[in-house]
Amino acid sequence: MAGTSERYSFSLTTFSPSGKLVQIEYALAAVASGAPTVGIKATNGVVLATEKKHKSMLYDGTSVWKIETINEYIGMCYSGMGPDYRLLVKSARKAAQAYKMAYGERIPTVQLVQRVAAVMQEYTQSGGVRPFGVSLLICGWDDGKPYLVQCDPSGAYFPWKATAMGKNFISGKTFLEKRYKNDIELEDAIHTAILALKESFEGQMTAENIEIGIVTKDGGFRRLSTGEVKDYLDNL
Amino acid sequence: MSILAYNGGAVVGMKGNGCVAIASDKRFGIQLQTIGLDFDKIFEVGPKIYMGIPGLATDTQTVNQRMKFRTNLYELKENRPVSPKVLSAMISNLLYEHRFGPYFVEPIVVGLDGNNEPYISTFDSIGCVSEPEDFVAAGTCDDQLFGMCEALWKPNMNPDELFEAVSQALVNACDRDAISGWGAKVYVIEKDKVTIRNLRTRMD
Amino acid sequence: MSSSALVPQVPSGGFNFSNYQRNVSLCASGFPAPKTTKTGTTIVGCIFGSREDIGVCLGADTRATSGNIVADKNCEKIHRIAERIYCCGAGTAADTEFTTKKIESQLELLKLNLGREVPVVVANRLIKQLLFRHQGHISAALVLGGVDNNGAHIYCIYPHGSTDRLPYATMGSGSLAAMSVFEGGWKDNMTEAEATKLVRDAIAAGITNDLGSGSNVDINIIRKNLPKPVIMRNMEIIGVKGERMGDYTYPKGTTKVLKTEVIPIKVEDEVVERMDTDQD
Repeated sequence: MAGTSERYSFSLTTFSPSGKLVQIEYALAAVASGAPTVGIKATNGVVLATEKKHKSMLYDGTSVWKIETINEYIGMCYSGMGPDYRLLVKSARKAAQAYKMAYGERIPTVQLVQRVAAVMQEYTQSGGVRPFGVSLLICGWDDGKPYLVQCDPSGAYFPWKATAMGKNFISGKTFLEKRYKNDIELEDAIHTAILALKESFEGQMTAENIEIGIVTKDGGFRRLSTGEVKDYLDNL
Repeated sequence: MSILAYNGGAVVGMKGNGCVAIASDKRFGIQLQTIGLDFDKIFEVGPKIYMGIPGLATDTQTVNQRMKFRTNLYELKENRPVSPKVLSAMISNLLYEHRFGPYFVEPIVVGLDGNNEPYISTFDSIGCVSEPEDFVAAGTCDDQLFGMCEALWKPNMNPDELFEAVSQALVNACDRDAISGWGAKVYVIEKDKVTIRNLRTRMD
Repeated sequence: MSSSALVPQVPSGGFNFSNYQRNVSLCASGFPAPKTTKTGTTIVGCIFGSREDIGVCLGADTRATSGNIVADKNCEKIHRIAERIYCCGAGTAADTEFTTKKIESQLELLKLNLGREVPVVVANRLIKQLLFRHQGHISAALVLGGVDNNGAHIYCIYPHGSTDRLPYATMGSGSLAAMSVFEGGWKDNMTEAEATKLVRDAIAAGITNDLGSGSNVDINIIRKNLPKPVIMRNMEIIGVKGERMGDYTYPKGTTKVLKTEVIPIKVEDEVVERMDTDQD
């Protein structure tokens, strides 16, 4: 009895003889087939943009969001599996509140990233679980500086000036490499983000099938309304 | 007799113009019997942040060590020094965790923050913070200290004036307290230096 | 995830009783636990206006005491719970401070996870459940007030977890003085100015007639048709400190110094490396 339960209580992520953790690579494959997400850091803010296409015209997506607020100045988006994402959002929000209770200050973006990354790492080394099937893009603003960080299923995290994840992320990144400038401003970055999404977008892009979130020094983090997204699309 | 007065001792802190001061007596006793004359109640937390912990001596040292543990961990994790405000929040949390079995101490924090603005705060034994704009006092002669400070404190004192005010407040308050005194130590914290002065006081 | 190999990132929370036995035995041998800071306190709240123009006015004094000593002459007793919910606290100062902070944090999480503003009843529920769970050991007596889609609400919350929903309420040691003002002057459908005046008078009655209350009047006004509350910190100073006629300043050199040590603080240009990830 003990023998069988022990045999199956090992972590799914066991090293292959070549030194790879194949489950993590499969998780990355799940991310790479997920909906595209881009993020761009500007001088005066950060923008996150993601594709939210629905398979059926009967789907009612008016109350489901991909871009989520973590606290006043931090927001998050993902490529990959939605249910996994929601768990991470919940734990990120909790970590942000716990930090504020402990130190009386808002959590710095980097600290939040480290806490979320620690959760993701734990799921690559624990028994009875699988890694998260998502990569996160976390943006924030502290001490007069913008932050944009990507967080992978392995728990690794990367600070970016601009990046793309999900389906066709390579062409998205190539596009951003061509278009990115160090002195880019937020309005410009929002346009660039939409264009980057458009690179691989199939069909008509509307205010209903993309989502945009921005963080600025004065406004904090917020998701743009469909009206605002529509204005940006009209002005492309 | 309250357990806070078992070992005796007092700490006072004051805000000045671009500077802060903290001072304590040096006595360590068991009730009325004096045992030591160089008992530290003020601890350095950062170059410009000091913490005074009057109260039961065993808890003075325990709370200092527990705070050292927490601030060290904070500085390693965050790769930045603690600010006086963060330190206050941490002390408050440590003390309130022990709400139903408290440490018998009433800590005081003084320091200059990132912009070199003066900061002072004081706590009761279960972590209630207050951040007054003038002075803080705690310990066995806190009643006397409050009276002295109320008369001596004035806004915008320079480091020299601040030193005289805080020293005289402490020395004269301790003169009317049987279980504190026997020497005093005064820290004046400015943006470019900390001056530590040992005072001559009555030894009885 | 009890089998986790990781150290938990977030402290587990909850109270620590490691000193409890020691403190009980110290108490038994004649060394009682020290006094904690209390907010003797006058706190009040009342509803004014009607329908869409409804709102609440909360008021508090600013004295904190430790025995007979005034521990803080200008403390804040009106705590933020949410954007349009505030809470006045009386009782043990640390308890009111931490209780309101905890509930503020829980409501913020709830707001983010639900995606909408949290109503005042929810704040009331969370607080009363917390206090009841601790069987009155957390001595927080609160006046909770706020507005939401259902209107304006004032709740009186007692340390053991019972609550009242009232049009006007007073709490703390000055509650009798304040209530006498309310009973004499309160009426239905007051204007904001009338309510502010009434609350000011009630707090002033507490400050002048109750020795546990003192210093200044703090008032918060939260209206249904305004997105943000009006916070009037120290709107009136009742306990004015007498003017100091003499100068007690000690001249430089009065204090005899035995030894001086100077620690210079060298500030080099500070460069902070924010992030470092050596991934392939």
